[in-house]
Amino acid sequence: MQSTDTEFMIPSTVAEALQGIGREDSIFLGGGTATALLYKNRLIEPSRVIWLGNIAELKGISITQSEVRIGAMTSVAEIAGHSRLAGLLPGLCAAASVIGNARVRAMATLGGALAHADPRQDIPPSLIAVNATISIKSASSSREVSLSEFYEGFLETVLEPDELITEVIIPISDNRSSAYIRYTPTSEGDYPTVGVGSSLTVASDMKTVVSAQIVLCGVGAVPMIATEAANSLVGTTGDDQALRRAASLVSEAIDPQDDERGTADYKTEMSKVFAYRSLKLSSGN
Amino acid sequence: MKISFSLNGKGIELDVDPMSLALDVIRGLSLTGTKEGCGVGVCGACTIMVNGSPVSSCICLVGTLSEKDVWTIEGLAEKMPELIDSFVENEGMQCGICTPGQIVAAAAIDSVGANTPEEIKKYMAGNLCRCTGYQTILSAVEDHVAIN
Ligand SMILES: Cc1cc2nc3c(=O)[nH]c(=O)nc-3n(C[C@H](O)[C@H](O)[C@H](O)COP(=O)(O)OP(=O)(O)OC[C@H]3O[C@@H](n4cnc5c(N)ncnc54)[C@H](O)[C@@H]3O)c2cc1C
Ligand code: FES
Ligand code: FES
Repeated sequence: MQSTDTEFMIPSTVAEALQGIGREDSIFLGGGTATALLYKNRLIEPSRVIWLGNIAELKGISITQSEVRIGAMTSVAEIAGHSRLAGLLPGLCAAASVIGNARVRAMATLGGALAHADPRQDIPPSLIAVNATISIKSASSSREVSLSEFYEGFLETVLEPDELITEVIIPISDNRSSAYIRYTPTSEGDYPTVGVGSSLTVASDMKTVVSAQIVLCGVGAVPMIATEAANSLVGTTGDDQALRRAASLVSEAIDPQDDERGTADYKTEMSKVFAYRSLKLSSGN
Repeated sequence: MKISFSLNGKGIELDVDPMSLALDVIRGLSLTGTKEGCGVGVCGACTIMVNGSPVSSCICLVGTLSEKDVWTIEGLAEKMPELIDSFVENEGMQCGICTPGQIVAAAAIDSVGANTPEEIKKYMAGNLCRCTGYQTILSAVEDHVAIN
C-alpha cells in the first residue's frame, strides 16, 4: 500500500478530537462517504484526519417531553429506522430514509450530512423546518447555531475549521406536524431535483395554523427557506386552498439553476408541486 | 499505520495507509470476490458487511474499519451457505459481476429489519444489476428472509 503523509487520529473523547484539530489542514471525519470521494479525486489533501467514530459521547438519540437530541455521529440509518423518532419527527425520518442507498445510510452520519453542505442534501430542509439548532464546540469555545443560519453557500457553512458539531437539538410540540418529500428524476438513490421539508403548528383548537415552515433543497446554493409562503398559512385552517396558495408562493423564494436534473423553469414548477405535497402530508389530510 | 479489525471472523492487523480504500486493501489481500463497479458508492458491487451493516468499500477509508467486524463475500459464503443456495435456487445471477455485492447486501439485511417484499425491494434498490431484471434476486432475498 502506498503511504501518504496523512496522519489518522482516532480519539475517544470530544476533548481529544478538539485538541487534535488545532493544526492547519486537519479535518474531522464522520462516516467518510463525502470525504472519501473528495480525497479519492484529490480535491482535498488533509495533513491530519480526525475520525470521530470512536467517540461514544457523539452517538445516540435522546428524547424528552420538550426536545430531541441527536449526537453528530449517529448514523443516518439509525435515524431512518428509529420508530419513536418517526412519530415525533416524521419529516426528518423520511429524509433520512431516502438518502442514497442502504450503504450510504449505514455509513453516513448526521454531522457529516449537515456539514457537507451540498445544497441538494435531504436532511437539512427536514431539520430547518422543525427549527433545529446545532451545538458546536471548539477547544476554546462552544455555541449554538440555528440550522436556518448555518449555510452560507455551496459546500460552505458558518463552521470554523476547528469547530465540531456535537449534536442537533430539535424542539418538540404536540401541536406541530412535519413532513419531507422529494422528487428524483433518475434512479431512486440519486440526489433530488427538489426536496421539500415542511411543518405546521396549530393553536390549541388543533385547527388554526399559528406557524409554518417550508424549506427546499436542490433549488439554490443553500437550503431555501420560503418564509413568505409559509407565513401565508398563518391564521388559516391549513385547508386545501391555503396549502395550494402557499405552495405557489415558493417560487419567490428559490433560485434554481439548469442542470441534468431539470431546467430552472422545470424545477420551479416541481417546487410548487412538491411543496404542496409536503404541506399536504404535514397537514395530515 | 497499524489498523486492526476482524476480517471474516479472524483478527487481523495491517500496516496500511489509513486513507486507502477498503476495496483496494481487501482485494490486495487476494479477497477478489469484492468487485469494483462504479467506484462512487452507487452500484453496490463492492459491498462488504461492517458490524452487520452494508458498506460500499469503494468509498470506505480503511482507517474507519479500525476495531470493526468486517465480512466479505468469501467469509459469508462459508458462514451462510443457505444464503448462497437461495441465490442458486432462484437463479439470482447471470453474468455474476454484481452477485457478490447482492449476496453481501442480503446477508446484512437484518441491520434494517426489512421483512415485507416492499421493504426488501427498498433495501436492495442500491445494488444494481444489468442482467437479471432483479426479480430473481429479490426472490432469493425473500427466501433468505423467510428462512431466517
Ligand atoms: C452514492 C451516494 C449517494 C448519495 N445520495 C444522497 C442523497 O440522495 N441525499 C443526500 O442528502 N445525500 C446524499 N449523499 C451525500 C451523503 O448524504 C453525504 O455523503 C453524507 O451525509 C456525509 O456524511 P458522512 O458522515 O459520511 O460525512 P464525512 O464524509 O465523514 O464528512 C463530510 C464533511 O463533514 C465534516 N464533518 C463530519 N462530521 C462532522 C462534525 N461532527 N462536525 C463538523 N464537521 C463534520 C467533514 O469534515 C467533511 O467536511 C450521497 C452520497 C453518496 C456517496
Ligand atoms: S463500486 Fe462501490 S458502490 Fe459501485
Ligand atoms: S448478474 Fe450481471 S450485473 Fe447482475
